[in-house]
Amino acid sequence: MSQLAYGDVLNMLRGAAAEVRANHTTLSKLDSVGGDGDHGTTMLRCMEAIEKAVVEAGDTGLVVLLDKAGWAVMGVDGGATGPLFGSFFIGMAQAASPHGTLDAPALAAMFEQGLAAVRRRTKAQPGDKPMIDALEPAVEAAKRAAEAGATPLDVLDAAAKAAETGALATRAMQARFGRAKNIGQKSIGAEDPGAASVAYLFKGFYEGAKTNA
Amino acid sequence: MAMRKFINDPKNLVNELLQGFALAQAKKVKLAGTNLVVRAKPKSQDKVAVVTLGGSGHEPALSGFVGDGMLDISVPGEIFAAPGPPRVIEALRAANRDAGVLFIVLNHAGDVMSADVAMEMAAKEGLKVRRVLSHEDISAGSRENPEDRRGLVGALLVMKVAGAAAEQGRSLEECAAIAERMERNMATLAVAVSSASHPSTGEPISDVPDGRMVVGMGQHGEAGGGEQPLKSANETAEIMLPLLLKDLDIKKGEQVMVMLNGVGSTTLMELYLVLRRVKGLLEERGVTLARSLVGEYLTVQEMGGFQMCVARMDDELIQLWDAPCDTPALTVK
Repeated sequence: MSQLAYGDVLNMLRGAAAEVRANHTTLSKLDSVGGDGDHGTTMLRCMEAIEKAVVEAGDTGLVVLLDKAGWAVMGVDGGATGPLFGSFFIGMAQAASPHGTLDAPALAAMFEQGLAAVRRRTKAQPGDKPMIDALEPAVEAAKRAAEAGATPLDVLDAAAKAAETGALATRAMQARFGRAKNIGQKSIGAEDPGAASVAYLFKGFYEGAKTNA
Repeated sequence: MAMRKFINDPKNLVNELLQGFALAQAKKVKLAGTNLVVRAKPKSQDKVAVVTLGGSGHEPALSGFVGDGMLDISVPGEIFAAPGPPRVIEALRAANRDAGVLFIVLNHAGDVMSADVAMEMAAKEGLKVRRVLSHEDISAGSRENPEDRRGLVGALLVMKVAGAAAEQGRSLEECAAIAERMERNMATLAVAVSSASHPSTGEPISDVPDGRMVVGMGQHGEAGGGEQPLKSANETAEIMLPLLLKDLDIKKGEQVMVMLNGVGSTTLMELYLVLRRVKGLLEERGVTLARSLVGEYLTVQEMGGFQMCVARMDDELIQLWDAPCDTPALTVK
């Protein structure tokens, strides 16, 4: 498969929703270390909003689909989670082609725009222990894979693996951003829930895209 | 941990909370649009509107301050979590007018992010909105790094004086200047003696060992200050007040307002003891206690502890504080 069709992107979003749904209690548990213990619930509501957007988008094309998904996530009343994850999808929409399919470089470029949109929302840098610690490696890995001539599915696989590694690496860090920064040293040893969510998101993208491969 | 709250399905908690609140306060507020809390009788369009946003679970804050003399619209979020940008922009559109909208935002990551997105959209749409950030928690950052300071109960003061200025028909620039002056001249410190449980999960949101207290607890159990053995009311006042006076550089001869905000399970009895000692400490320093407010205004469920807010007052700020207001949570006659 050298191209992702519109239906494959729908499956990516469905896959992400399924992955978060399967792991939302783990996400809430991770959040109870530095937050309110409700991150999993919030992410689940974000994903339900995406599923609704997928149904409503019909055949409107990638730009409208991703923009709708992003605004649906923005509309979830869950603190910073909605604006951050919503910005990721809205950013992707801005780089998406209005018609046709996605090849590997187009997919990687879309992720890059998503990351750029998240960056505009937060001053957090890699190593500060927010979601960016999983998102940036995932997007970088996608870019490298695409440049090396990988298929879109391999791009998604590389991004998912890098996101997971990035999320796990947050265990060793002290939070310097988000609510968890207020607990300082105590945050060392715990995986950042936002980074873990990014890892589930990309794993879900990959699993979802695979279903039709 | 066993749930000890009378709730129904956690998914409907905020909806049901707002419906009940609107029923109880029908003379003063009502729900409009997508769960926005608005005044029962809107103020005239030629006056500046005052809008805020913030998570739920802190009742009576923040929607309890919607009403004559204070807020026009509040955008309540989920439990302890900011509303998303779409409802915030909905509120800014609803409030928009030639006189302008003053948008008061408490400094918490989610609130600020939602407000930022909404402000970008407001700018695109040509809405006349000024944002004022309320961030006075001295445990979370120095005066040189105000971005790290979280917004605690001091926001009530900002809403009160800015709301009064708006009611008097002052311009958006004047209202914003008054809000910012109030904001710059206040400082808050929180102390916690016991945790609250999250209404949706039943799990404790922080951990305070028995017989200990944590000074600088923030709003949701974010630590940031010192854990120490539980002290008496007098001793606790003696620990907290000087830190606040020092942060504000309050000098002999100045006048301050002190607000003691119980956050849930600390009783009025205890707060009155603290206020009594605060008054004595101020007298020793030659500082006048111009106004005080003691009660539960911004709570964190059944958390034990209180927030002490000290504000340097000038004659105009006192006059604006004394101006009448009639809201569910605060009435000044």
